[in-house]
Amino acid sequence: MLPEFDLVMPENLQQALENLGQRNPGVVPVAGGTNLTVDMRSRRHTPATLVNIEHIQELTGILQEDDRIEIGSCVTIAEILKSPIIAAVAPALIEAARGFANPLIRNRATIGGNLADASPAADTAPSLLVHNAQVELWSKKNRRILPLDEFFVGVRKTVLQPDEIIKSVHVPKTNRPSASSFYKLGLRKADAISVASVAVYLEKKNGACGQVRIAMGSVAPKPLRAYAAEELLTGKHLSLKLIEEAAKLAAEASSPISDIRGSAEYRRRMVFVLTRRLLTHLAEMMELKDW
Amino acid sequence: MNIRFKLNGKETELQVKQDESLLEALRQAGAYSVKHGCETGECGACSVLLDGKLVPTCILLAPQADGHEIETVEGLSEVNTIHPIQKAFTENGAIQCGYCTPAMILATKALLNKEKYPTLEDAREALSSTICRCTGYVKPVEAILRAAAMLRGEEVAPIGGGGIPLELAFGLTGESDLGRDIPDVKSGGGGGTSVSVRPTVKVAPWVSPEAHTDVVGRPEIKVDAVKLVKGKPAFTDDINLPGMLYAAMLTSPHAHARIRNIDVSKARAFPGVHAVLTYKDVPRVMYASGGQSWPNPKPWDQVSLDSKVRYVGDRVAVLAAETPEIAREALKLIEVDYEVLPAVLDPREAGKPGAPVIHDEPDAIGIPDAQRNLVNTIDAAVGDVEKTLAECDYVFERTYYTPKQQQVHIEPHVCITYWDEDERLVVRTSTQVPFHVRRMLSPLIGLPVKRIRVIKPRIGGGFGGKQEMLIEDLAAHLTLATNRPVRFEYTREQEFTSARSRHPMYITFKAGVMKDGVLRALDMKVISDTGAFGQHSMTVASVSGLRGLSTYRCEALRFHAEIYYTNKTPAGAFRGYGAPQGMFGLESIVDEIAHELGFDPLEFRRKNAVRVGDPIPISTALGEGGAIEQVVLSCGLEECFDKAAAAIQWERRYDPKWHVDPERPHIRRGLGVATCMHGTAIPGLDMGGASVKMNDDGSFNVLVGATDLGTGSDTVIAQIVAETLGCALEDVIIYSSDTDMTPFDVGAYASSTTFISGGSAKKAAEEVRRQIMERAALMLKTTTEGMYLRNRHVYTADGRAVSLQDVALHSLHTEDQRQIMATASHMSNYAPPPFGAQFVEVEVDMETGMVRVPRMVMAVDCGTAINPVTASGQIEGGQLQALGMAISESVMYDQQGKVLTTRIGEYRIFEADEAPDIMAILVPTYEPSGPYGAKAVAEIPMDGVGPAVANAVFDATGVRVRELPILPEKVWKGLKELK
Repeated sequence: MLPEFDLVMPENLQQALENLGQRNPGVVPVAGGTNLTVDMRSRRHTPATLVNIEHIQELTGILQEDDRIEIGSCVTIAEILKSPIIAAVAPALIEAARGFANPLIRNRATIGGNLADASPAADTAPSLLVHNAQVELWSKKNRRILPLDEFFVGVRKTVLQPDEIIKSVHVPKTNRPSASSFYKLGLRKADAISVASVAVYLEKKNGACGQVRIAMGSVAPKPLRAYAAEELLTGKHLSLKLIEEAAKLAAEASSPISDIRGSAEYRRRMVFVLTRRLLTHLAEMMELKDW
Repeated sequence: MNIRFKLNGKETELQVKQDESLLEALRQAGAYSVKHGCETGECGACSVLLDGKLVPTCILLAPQADGHEIETVEGLSEVNTIHPIQKAFTENGAIQCGYCTPAMILATKALLNKEKYPTLEDAREALSSTICRCTGYVKPVEAILRAAAMLRGEEVAPIGGGGIPLELAFGLTGESDLGRDIPDVKSGGGGGTSVSVRPTVKVAPWVSPEAHTDVVGRPEIKVDAVKLVKGKPAFTDDINLPGMLYAAMLTSPHAHARIRNIDVSKARAFPGVHAVLTYKDVPRVMYASGGQSWPNPKPWDQVSLDSKVRYVGDRVAVLAAETPEIAREALKLIEVDYEVLPAVLDPREAGKPGAPVIHDEPDAIGIPDAQRNLVNTIDAAVGDVEKTLAECDYVFERTYYTPKQQQVHIEPHVCITYWDEDERLVVRTSTQVPFHVRRMLSPLIGLPVKRIRVIKPRIGGGFGGKQEMLIEDLAAHLTLATNRPVRFEYTREQEFTSARSRHPMYITFKAGVMKDGVLRALDMKVISDTGAFGQHSMTVASVSGLRGLSTYRCEALRFHAEIYYTNKTPAGAFRGYGAPQGMFGLESIVDEIAHELGFDPLEFRRKNAVRVGDPIPISTALGEGGAIEQVVLSCGLEECFDKAAAAIQWERRYDPKWHVDPERPHIRRGLGVATCMHGTAIPGLDMGGASVKMNDDGSFNVLVGATDLGTGSDTVIAQIVAETLGCALEDVIIYSSDTDMTPFDVGAYASSTTFISGGSAKKAAEEVRRQIMERAALMLKTTTEGMYLRNRHVYTADGRAVSLQDVALHSLHTEDQRQIMATASHMSNYAPPPFGAQFVEVEVDMETGMVRVPRMVMAVDCGTAINPVTASGQIEGGQLQALGMAISESVMYDQQGKVLTTRIGEYRIFEADEAPDIMAILVPTYEPSGPYGAKAVAEIPMDGVGPAVANAVFDATGVRVRELPILPEKVWKGLKELK
C-alpha cells in the first residue's frame, strides 16, 4: 500500500553516499522508517528511491571521545535509553527518550531520523540543543560539522542537502559540574505529540549559575533556544524571582500556533511554567538555590 | 525481489515487492497472528520479534527483514501444547477479543527474555507497546506477572486468582425457569404514571449460603481463549480465497458537494482493475445503515453510492483490483468534478435559516424536517414539570457537552464476500449484527435473503462500531460486478473519517430540589449531532433521556431532544448508546446541586436514588420497543456505594491535608463519585434463539445467533447450558453467528446477550434436560419425578444414576431412537437495570491544568455474574474507555470539516503504562427475570467515569468543567477564571 519506489541496500557508507549523490533529488535514506513509511503511505513523501542505511556500520554505535560522545545517526531511541554513556553526559536526552512514542517505535526510530524529520515537536531536539550538540553531515564530496541550532530551518526543513546524510550527532562533554533535564507536556504520557516541551542545561560556577542553556519544542516552527533567558541567568545567583523572569523571557521567545493540541496563549504560558519548573528543579539539585 | 529470513526458527524465502510492508509479507506467508490495526506503528497489533526486539511490521519494509530472525506466536506452541505465557493469559482472563493478544504475548516474551523478575511497572511498560481497547490492561498486566512466576517455576494461584474473590462464584440451583418471579407485565399506556405505584414484587433473596452452582458463577476460561492466544487464523481477514480481489474506496475531500461528473474510464482501463462502481452503477435504494430490528428506525437517508457527498470521508466510488497496490493506484485515476457546497458543522447552527440543506434529495424517507436539517425530535413527560419546578425551593440549570468519541476497535471494519458453490452470496464479516446485515443487505444488492449467508468469525472488538452495515454492501456490489471474491478493509484513517462515532450532545438539565435535598423535578433537553446520516440517532437520543431521567426518584420528568444533521462523519452506536451523554449531564448537575446546598455528594445521591420496587416511569414514555412499564426488581446500589466508597477511601475527601502534596506543591488531589444505572436489552424487541443438541458421548452442540465480539458471550452462554445440563463447560461445543447454521439473534448490542441470548440458551437447555430425564426414566423404568442432572449424570429421586453418555447412546441407537435436541427463543418485556457506583481519584497540576487519574473504582450490581472474570473484564476495560472520553479522546475537525485526528497517536487512547489502577467490584444480587439471576454488565462501565472525573476535578480545584474531554487547557482556563 506504499507508492512504488526503488530500494537500494548498500553495504557500506561509501555505497550509500554514492547512491545519494547519483540519483538525487528523489533519493532518500531510510532506517527505522517510523516517519518516512507513514509519510509515504499518506503520499506526503513520494521518493523514487530509498537507500536502506539502518545496518551501515559507520552509522551505528555510540563512540566515546575525550571531549565528546558521538552518537551514530542510526542509533535507535531504545539504545539511547539504555546507554550509560549518554546518561552520564546528557541526562536530558535520556528523559526525552523515555517519553518518546512507545517501546515499539523506540526500537525502530533513530536519532538521525528524528532530527532529519525536523518536526517542531521532535522529542530529541531540545535536549540536544541545550547540550550544544553538533551534527556531522556527510556527502560523497563533502563533510561538515555544524551546530544543531543551525541545522533546523523551519517546519520540517533543514539545511541537509539531497546528497547528504547525518553521519552522527556530537554531544560535548564537560568537566564542570552540570545537570540537565527535559519536560514534555503532552495530552497523554507518551506517544502523543507534545503541547510544549522544554529542556534546560545548567552549570555551576563559583556557587552561582555558570553556563545555562534553555531550549523549547512545539512552540515555534522549529526547536529553538531561549537566548535572552540564558543570558539573564548566566553568572547569577538563582533566586525564585530571577528564575521567573528568565521563564518569562523564554515564553516571549516562543511563537506557538493554536491547533488541536492547544491554543497559542496556553502553550506560551506552558513554556513559562515548564522553564520555571525545570530551572527550580535543577537549581535545587545543583545546590544553587538562592531562596 | 527475494528475501530470506528465519521465521520461527525455519529458514524462509519469500518473494516480496520492494514497496511491500513486512506486515503484508508475513500475512501472505501465512503468519496470520500478525494483525493489521493501523498503518503508523502506533497500535502495536502487528508486532513481531525481530532479532529478539519487538518491532511494528506495518512500518517496516519487507526487504528490511532480509537476513534476520523473526518470531511470531505461531512459533510458541504446537497442537496440544501451550507456552507458559499463553497459559497465563488464558487463565488470567487477559483475553477479550484476542486481536492484539499475539502482540501482547510477544511483548511479554521480549520482557521476560531479559527480566526474570519483572515489577508491575516493568509489565505495564512492556504492554505500553500494544493498544488494547477491551481489557483496560488490568488482566494482561496480571498475566505477565503470572507468566513470569510460571517461567521461574513457582506455584501460581489457581485460576480466577486475578483479584476476583472466589466467593463471588455463586448462584442458585434447581428450577429457575425464566420469568417465574416476574409479575404480569402491562403493555401499552401512555406517560404520566404516578410514582406512588409500588407493585408488590417478590424479589428473589440474596444468595443463601447453601445455594450453589457448578459452572455458573465460576471464573471459567473463555471457550475461545486457546485459539486466540495461539494466534490461530480465526478472524475475518485470516483467509485467502483463490482469485480474491482487493477493494478500495475513494472518499470525498469536501464536507459538502455535489458530484457534477465522475469519470472512471482511466481507472477501469488500469491493468488489474476488475470493477469500478459509482452512483451510476448501483441501484438507488434508500436505507439506514444502523443494525437494528425490522423495520429499521427512520430516517432512511442513505444509498450505497450517491451523486452527493455530505462529509469528508463520504463514499464516492469503490473498485476491486488484483492487489491492494493496484487498487490504491487506480483510485487516483478517478476524475471527479465537484460542485462544492457550503457546509455546516455545528448542530446548534444546522437548524437555523440559511444553513445549507444536507438532505435535499427528494427520495429520502422519514426525515421530519429536511429543510432545517432536523432528523428527529423526541418529547416525553411524566407529571407536570413546570408546576413542580415552581414549587421547588431551588431550581438549577446547567448545560454540558460530550464529545465525538470513536470506537477504535483495533480490528478495522473488514469483510470478504464471495459466491459459494450454490451461487449464494457469502458475507464473511466483522459485525455485531449478522442477521440484521443479511436482511438489510438484501434489497441493496437485489438478492433475496435466502441467497445470502452472513458469517461472523472472531471479531477484534466492536463497541457498537460494528452494529452497522458499514461496508458489506460495497463489497457485495463488487462481487456481483466481478463474480470474484472481494476483500474490503478500512484503513485506520478511514475508521476516523468514514466509520461511526458517539453522537456529540449538548445536554441541558433543569433540576428542582427542596431545602432538605429531595429532588422533585428534572427537565432535560438535548441537542444531538448525528453527522451526515441519521442512523441510530433517534434511539441513541432516546436512551440519553431514558438514562438521564431514571436514576433518581422524581415526581416530574420531562425530556426534549432535537437531532440535527451536520457535514461530519455520521455518528452511530457506541457502547453506552446515549447513556454516557445523559449520565454526564445528570451526574454533573447532581454534584453541583449537592455542593451548592451543602450535602455530601454521596449522601445526596443515596437519598434520591431509586431502589427495589420503584417504577421507572420515564421508560413508559420513552421505550424503543413500545411503552412497557419498568420496575426495579433487583438493586444493589447501596452496597455498591458502600464497597466502592470504602475501596477509594471516600473519607479522604474531608481531609484537607490529603488534598495537597508537600513534595509536589503544584498538585491538588480530589475524589469524585457518580451513580450508574443502565438497562438490559430493549424490552419487548430484542430476541435471541438457541439450539442445543446432544451427541453420542454426552456432549452438546450449542448453536446461537448471539454475536461474541470479544466480550465472552460464547463462554457465558456455554456456562449457562452446562449448568442447566449438569455437565462440564468442556462438554459444550458452541458455534455462533452464522445465518445459515444458527437461529436468529438481534446481535450484540444494548447489553442484551447474557440476558436475552443466555435466556434462550437456558430455555433450550431446559427442554433438552426434560428430554434427557424422559429418556433416563425410560432406561431406569421410573418417572422423572425428583430427577436432577449433575456431574454428567442423571440422578433419580431414589439415588440411582445413569450417565449422560449412556442416555445419549440409548436415545440415538438403542430404543425409540431420537435426537435429543431443542430450539428456543427468548425475549423480555423487562429490561432490568444493572446499577453501579463509580469513584475516581484525580491529581490536578495547578500550573498546567493536567489531570491525572491514579485510581478508579467501580462497584457493579449485574445480578449474578455468570462468569466473574469476564464480567470484571468488562468493568475494567469499560472504565478505561470511559476515561478516554473523560480526559483525552475526541475526533477533531478543522473549519472545513476535515478530520484532524486520523491517527491513533493523535487521537490519544490510553496505553498500559499510563492507565490508572482500575478496580472492579461485583456486588451480587439476583435478578428474577434473567438466566440464573443475571442482568447486564457490558455498557454500564461507560456511564460514570466522565462525571466522576469532572466531579473529582471540582473537588481538587474548585473548577467545574462542563465539557468533555477535560483537556488540561480547559482546567487551566478555569483556574485562571477562579483567580
